[in-house]
This record gives sequence, structure tokens and C-alpha cells, in this order.
Amino acid sequence: MKLVFLLEEYSMRVTLEALLPKILPTDVQHLLIDHEGKRDLEISIPRKLRAWRENDVRFVIVHDQDSADCRQLKKRLAKLCQEAGRSDALIRIACVELESWFLGDLEAVAEAFDHPQIAALKDRSKFRNPDRLANASDELRKLIPRYQKVGGARAIAPLLDFPRNRSHSFQIFLTGLRRLVGQ
Amino acid sequence: MQIESIVIKNYRVFQDVKLDRIPSMSVFVGANGSGKSTLFDILGFLRDALIHNVRQALTLRGGYKEVVTRGSNGPIELEIKFREVNGPLATYFISIGLGADGSPTVKRELLKYRRGQRGKPWHFLDFADGKGLAVTNEQDYGKPGIEEKRDQQELESADILAIKGLGQFQQYKIVSAFRKLIESWHVSDFHIGDARPSQEAGVAEHLSSRGDNLALVAQYMRERHRDVFERVLQKMSQRVPGVAKVEAVETEDGRIVLKFQDGSFKDPFIAKYVSDGTIKMFAYMLLLHDPNPHPLLCVEEPENQLYPKLLIELAEEFREYAWRGGQVFVSTHSTDFLNAMNLKEIFWLSKQKGVTVIRRASDARELEGLVTQGDLPGALWKQGLFEGADPR
Repeated sequence: MKLVFLLEEYSMRVTLEALLPKILPTDVQHLLIDHEGKRDLEISIPRKLRAWRENDVRFVIVHDQDSADCRQLKKRLAKLCQEAGRSDALIRIACVELESWFLGDLEAVAEAFDHPQIAALKDRSKFRNPDRLANASDELRKLIPRYQKVGGARAIAPLLDFPRNRSHSFQIFLTGLRRLVGQ
Repeated sequence: MQIESIVIKNYRVFQDVKLDRIPSMSVFVGANGSGKSTLFDILGFLRDALIHNVRQALTLRGGYKEVVTRGSNGPIELEIKFREVNGPLATYFISIGLGADGSPTVKRELLKYRRGQRGKPWHFLDFADGKGLAVTNEQDYGKPGIEEKRDQQELESADILAIKGLGQFQQYKIVSAFRKLIESWHVSDFHIGDARPSQEAGVAEHLSSRGDNLALVAQYMRERHRDVFERVLQKMSQRVPGVAKVEAVETEDGRIVLKFQDGSFKDPFIAKYVSDGTIKMFAYMLLLHDPNPHPLLCVEEPENQLYPKLLIELAEEFREYAWRGGQVFVSTHSTDFLNAMNLKEIFWLSKQKGVTVIRRASDARELEGLVTQGDLPGALWKQGLFEGADPR
């Protein structure tokens, strides 16, 4: 089996490069395709889904929610996949964005940037449900002023712990992926 | 120091251009010939004029007639507003024309500071044709009710900058600080070929503008800033397949040579036989991780010779350099570099009737809207949405 990931941006690619080896069984291959933002991704989805010839391939689409309505966004993406003949594609939304997943594990953030005091903030009410924070990257920048998308992902992603992550959308991503590869 | 605005008049394609609200990280895009290099050249020109004199700085560029905008008689004018961290806004103004005998002359040179929004600015320097006034009680600057005291001064000749002539005297601290600042601008003119050969042993803390002291800087960083050097090596091995280690090694005849270790082979390669991109990435890594950033770093088209995707993180590293205190100006044709930028960090140059116009991407409402919807700046630029940026 092979999973083909269609991603919005390079920072998500860097994140998944670190995470997937810990999630996927060794006999499942994967390919990460990053795009230049949302429109680029949405234009790409139907083409990739239609054109792929390899056997035993499943697609995974990871999209940021940002300001969109999560359900409608998922519905729209599902329709794109269906029209391209791949209704079995897995669609996962990062609510509200990649940084929400990082805020879900402040211990990893603390370790990545060597700021032990950040880990203590994990029980603050707003970090108990990070998916609710409208602007996760701004929140993260408040904690780590020098946070940058790709450099930050490279530092944090390898340290993310799955069970302790409090981002609901991250957990949904994990379960969806595990189910897909039959675990 | 942070440059906040630049006004240029009659310098090549810049007939009358103003750049304001300049952020600490600024990226310039535009078609070939739109004036990106000229913009960087102006900063180099000012530095040359300071280190040598105005005549020599012009001669290096083909002489006054070549430098002044076609169809204009000049004078060439340059105004830079800048600010030290939490300091007052300072203005440096210079106007260059031809003297009675036809030789290049500094028509006017001003350095003034104003405290806060109100109050009369002090003219620390006010010179014309080699003569002028300089403030002598600058230690009283900012104290309430104290007027400036000024002294008449004359420079050796009218093509010397007063910041040079006076900047060497101890009593003119502000003038001399400004002079040192411009002297430490780094306008990169990196030549891979110059960075490869071995170099005579010595000490170099900063990479030179041509990069011809790369091996010495590597040696210095390894010896004096081990942790930073280790980080550079780690990044090199992530970005350049096969590069496990880089070392500056002393040869028998007392020269320093760079050696690149490939994890798969026992013997390292000397810099002479390493790829262009590898040398360049290593030079940028040392430049951008410099523990003492230059107040201003200008780099043209960092993407050349590098694998496109590497530009995303390199762009972030340029920004980090700016955050550490060195303002950064970069010109680029790389969509990946632009994708890592915010719109307010991007300026685009276009030519209208032979002269250059500069706009800031965040001032274009369409672009703002599209980025809010999740498009990346580089993708929008590639689609031609930076109006007038594409060649026609």
C-alpha cells in the first residue's frame, strides 16, 4: 500500500516527514506533495486523483481550516474527490491550522525551543483546547517570538507526543490515518 | 540600526523614488532591468563614497554622466532616514552635482536628528561644496532649552563626504557613529570561485563581500563559536546530500583550506572539487549565523545555484538575521523565497516610461485579499498578479 499526501504548504510536509515514520507500518510507503497555498492545492487535487495510475494507492488530503467552516470545507473537498473518482480519499482538516497541532503539545514546544517554562502553560484553559484558538500561529509567536513556519515545524514536529496532544483535529488526523492503514 | 525610508533622485533608473515604512526584512522583485541591482548599488555607492570619495565612487560606475538619470541634469540626491533601537529618527541627505570645473562635488550634505515628533531637529552636519557647520555640543543634544553650538569647518576637497572628514574626530561622536555604521554595511558580491581556493592563515570574523575569506571564517567560527558552527554543519547535512562535515584545515605551507567530508567516503574533498551550490550554501550559512550581524545586509538573488526548495528555509534564516539586529535587503526571482515572505516584506519594481516605480505588495488590496484566502505570495507573483512586475 502507498499513501499519497496532498498538502497545502511546505511546513506541513516537514511536519509529516517527522511524524509518518512513527504512525505508518513499515510496509506502507508514502509520498508527500506540498503546494503553494490553498488554491494551488485545490487545483491540483482533481488532476492528481484522476491521473494516478499506480495500484493500491490511497490519497490523504490535509487542509488548514483557517477562516472556513470546517464541515463545509470538508464537504467541498469530498465533492472534489468524488468527482475525480476517488471517494475513498481521506480528508483531514487541521483546525484551525498546523500550529494548532503544535499548541496541543506545549511540552514539545518547550523542548524544541529550550523554554521549559512554556510547558507549564499547558493547563491554561485556552491551551486545553487549542483548536478553538482562532489564530494559532499568532498564539505560538506570542510564546516563541522567533517562531517561523518551516524552521519551527522542523524543531517541534520530531518531539510531538501523540497521546498527550490536546488538539482534537490532530487526534482525528491520527485515528483516520491509522484506520486507513488497517491498524 | 534600522533604515526607515529611502528617497532617491536622478540615480540611473531612479528618477524620483521613495521607499517608506521599510521593514527589517525586505525583498525586492521585478523583471530584469527593472532596477533591483541599481537599488543595491546605491547603498554600495554611498559606502564607496565614504571609504574613498564621491569622484572615485562615480568613476567605478562609469562617471557622473553614466550615473545620473538619462535626460536629467541632476543633481543626484539621496535621503536616508534611520533609527537606532529606541533612538531618535535621523536623516542623512546628500546631493551630488558637477562643480564649476566640471568635476563631481558634494553640493549639500546634512545629518539631522529630531527627538520625538516635535521640536526642531539639530543639524549635526550641514555642508555645501566642502565647507559647512558641525555641532560641537552634541553631548547636550536632547536636553531641554539648550541650543546647538556650531563650528565652521572646511574639508580637504569638495568631493569628500563630511561624515568621512569629520567622522574621524573624537568630538563628533554622532557623526562618527554614523560613519562606522555605513562602513559596516555588507553588500554581498559573492563569487564562488573566490571562495574555493586556500587562503593564507589569518583571522577573519566576518565573511567578506566577495566571500574570499570563507575558509578563515569557518576556522574562526569553529574555534570561537563552536555551538553555532555545529548548527551550521547540521543544517548543511540536512540540505546538501552527502555533506557530513566541513573542516578548515591548515596545510604544510601555512595556508587554510576547506575540506568537505562525504559520509560515504573516507577521504574528504577539498573545496576546489566541491559543487558550486555546496560552497554557496556553506557561505550563506556562515554569513547568516554570524554572531555579530551587520547593521545592513544586502544580497542579490540568493537562489542562484541552489535547489529551489532550500530557499524556503533560507528565507526564514534571512529573516532571523534581521530579527537579531541586521536589516536585510534581498532581491529575488524565486517563488519559494517569496512564499516564505509576508506581503509587507515584499516590494516590487516596474518600469514606466523608462524609469522605475516601486510598490509594496501589502498596499495592493487584491493581493492582501488573496493571501487572506490562503494563497502564497510567490504563487501570486508567478501568476502575474503583481501588476507590471512581469516583463512585457
